[in-house]
Amino acid sequence: MSDIILALRQATKLYAGTPAIENVDFELRRGEIHALVGENGAGKSTLTKVMAGVVTLTSGTMLIDGVEVMPRTPLEARHLGVAMVFQENSLVPTMTVAQNLFLGQERFYNRLRGIYIAAQQFLQSLNFDVTPTATVGLLGAAKKQMVEIARAVLHEAKVIIFDEPTASLTPEEKKYFFDLVRDLKRRGVSIVFISHALEEALILADRITILRDGKHVVTDDAVNFDRARIVQAMVGRDLSNTLYGTRKTTVRPAGARVLTVQNLKMAPMVKNNSLSVFAGQITGVFGLVGAGRTETFKVVAGILKRDFFHGGEVLLHDRPVRYRVPAPAVRAGIAYVTEDRKVEGFFETMSVSRNIYLGLLAKLPGGRFFLSGREADRIGKSWVDKLKVRSTGNDMKVVELSGGNQQKVVIAKSLVQEPDLIIFDEPTRGVDVGAIVEIHDLIQRLADEGKAVVVISSYLPEIMALSDRILVSRQGKVVEEFSALEATEEKIMYAAVH
Amino acid sequence: MIAAFRAFADRLLGRGEATITVPSFDGALKPNQILEKAETIGQFEAPEDLATDGHALYIADGTAILRLDAASAATTEVRRFDRPITALCCLPGGGIAVALDGREVLIFATPAAPDAAMTFTDPTMNAINALAPGAAGTLVATDGSTARPCGQWVYDLMERGRTGRVLVLDIGSGRIRTIASGLHYAFGACAAGDGIFVSESWQHRVIAIAPDGSRRAVLDNLPVYPSRLVPSASGGFWLTAFAARTQLVEFVLRENAYRRRMMAEIDPEYWIAPKLRSGQSFLEPMQGAHIKTMGVVKPWAPPRSYGLVIRLGASGVPLYALHSRVDGINHGVVAAVEIDGVLFALAKGPGRLLRIPLGTIEEELRA
Repeated sequence: MSDIILALRQATKLYAGTPAIENVDFELRRGEIHALVGENGAGKSTLTKVMAGVVTLTSGTMLIDGVEVMPRTPLEARHLGVAMVFQENSLVPTMTVAQNLFLGQERFYNRLRGIYIAAQQFLQSLNFDVTPTATVGLLGAAKKQMVEIARAVLHEAKVIIFDEPTASLTPEEKKYFFDLVRDLKRRGVSIVFISHALEEALILADRITILRDGKHVVTDDAVNFDRARIVQAMVGRDLSNTLYGTRKTTVRPAGARVLTVQNLKMAPMVKNNSLSVFAGQITGVFGLVGAGRTETFKVVAGILKRDFFHGGEVLLHDRPVRYRVPAPAVRAGIAYVTEDRKVEGFFETMSVSRNIYLGLLAKLPGGRFFLSGREADRIGKSWVDKLKVRSTGNDMKVVELSGGNQQKVVIAKSLVQEPDLIIFDEPTRGVDVGAIVEIHDLIQRLADEGKAVVVISSYLPEIMALSDRILVSRQGKVVEEFSALEATEEKIMYAAVH
Repeated sequence: MIAAFRAFADRLLGRGEATITVPSFDGALKPNQILEKAETIGQFEAPEDLATDGHALYIADGTAILRLDAASAATTEVRRFDRPITALCCLPGGGIAVALDGREVLIFATPAAPDAAMTFTDPTMNAINALAPGAAGTLVATDGSTARPCGQWVYDLMERGRTGRVLVLDIGSGRIRTIASGLHYAFGACAAGDGIFVSESWQHRVIAIAPDGSRRAVLDNLPVYPSRLVPSASGGFWLTAFAARTQLVEFVLRENAYRRRMMAEIDPEYWIAPKLRSGQSFLEPMQGAHIKTMGVVKPWAPPRSYGLVIRLGASGVPLYALHSRVDGINHGVVAAVEIDGVLFALAKGPGRLLRIPLGTIEEELRA
């Protein structure tokens, strides 16, 4: 029998013509723990989703035990012995542990007591301390993880894939999880796990594969890696010929302090976070997924609420503020440009001008009794011209625009409120290259005009290209600050993962 | 009744006055080790203040005024008093002003003049801790607290003192005028335009006092306890800070019963309070903490003492800062003066006089 249980050859997956992974070769050995490491957008999730049958390859082949397969659904993958434990677990919270374990394997007549007994025996055989009659929604993150793992083992998975398994675990739970994974390895199960915590990859994995920009960079035994080598491999792209190639030679001086966040807490994502934002500067906020960046600024903008007890303090122009809803934050001059424009950014069946006009209405206390279509058209047109939104007319529905132009509408909707503090969350996600340049120019212009600008981005080159100062967030708090002149990708990434 | 209920709710929820938060050292206050790595050019027994006439550097050390020879770094005693000096400043005409024991201010025509040209002895003066030349032949003095003497500043903090004052001493007439009172420990003043900038330590801010007496915050919500202010040669100011704020001390300051009991029962040396110097005894609080990350125990403790000099622009906006961080020694910085492109800072904690050539530092840190 071959030592390789799962292999991908020249695997390519295109999304709307853009490669998420490109000609990736990957091999998983029998009974090994294999870590997949890379920046956000490096293609880790796509690669594992291909293995788990969540998405199918555009080109390339997948082999299990040397046999070419192409699972088209997670069920097909499961029958082939591949199971995936997602970051957001896939358990039904209102069902018991036992019901979740046997979900999809029910018989015509199910005896609940029988299921509980079988589940109890099975969990004991795995040495998992989980009560089969407990409701899953009431379990902690680690126990839910155990149920997911138990389900994968119950389905006789030969390969179990974990996507960011430790992101929501406490240190104690992490240690327990590591023991579980090692136990699975002893049972001959092969493990693939994605992690942003390099320490975890170094401690737990037998081999590490690093992806960058959808391409395979290196695979080697974990003992041959150290943090520096991983970070170098993760970020070592050549930017000289790209959009982000030019390096900053000057930075804008800080103006007055506009925003101060002090010891902000919002369990479990934001942990005692403190930072300041100054007028006339672009403050870039970098961090890996789960670093609490978005949540921090959503609290600032009144979209999320901080902890009820001792949740810390937010000061706008040195005055404490506490917004329960976004409207007063908008009126106070805070604009938050969302990272998820389709869900939170606009009303997709409304016209461009109406969407922009809504931004203005949000600023007016109590809204407005009479709405003026003429005013909406006038304001809409002026912003469409100003931001060069490419549409066939103001009446065009936002859903009909390209991603880049949709993003411009979302930005216009915020800028029409004439804010002092503008928070851009992933401003160029899903945006074409031409629009990226225009959006970046706009952001630079806002800072030149003296506005306090925050750019949250998971894409290091974007942070480097835009920011005057860079805050690095890790595990719910800002851990490092760099001036754009002293920052390098390696330094930032090291701070983000160390 | 409503106020009492609100105070109770705030304490329960950690909001309003009971919010226990501290701003971070970021932006212009981004940490570095420049102050910690600065050259030590003198070690003193009880240094308190620095002054310069633009050429020579004068150091108030206990009861003596010393002059530092810039070339050899040797000090010579200029004069000695029978009481400790609590503030010192050079006057435009070549004179020098000295505060003794916080209760008396003497003006000398020259540093070595045998007798005082003018003596200010107002019985209400209690803790004169900084002097600065004012407008039209006046001297500005900050009286930190009318309740506690200079040496007991930590008592004033723990008692949440707000009896600080700013006095204008008219050298011509000998008249003393109070231009601000009820300050949370006034500690340092400097003429700024028509008005005066004053640092208010327990409020962690610098305020501007206009000639008509009105006040406005120039620099608010600092993460440190600010001390003296002096002008910078290239415009703006140098502001020193003798300790950093911590959530633990902020918490203690809001827990009245705990604080009262601590003050009654514990040696002040071991109070949970800011210090000019720490790490001297295993009995000190706030040194045994640790955090565990990925199975590795890392030593950690909130800073009990700290050293900081902040460069302010003419409008009071911070431009950059020089730090001696929690693991350093050059803590408790209470005074700084600039002479010919070199900054001299006094770290009272270890009793050191530090020399920092500004040269390229300014460009690097402002970048």
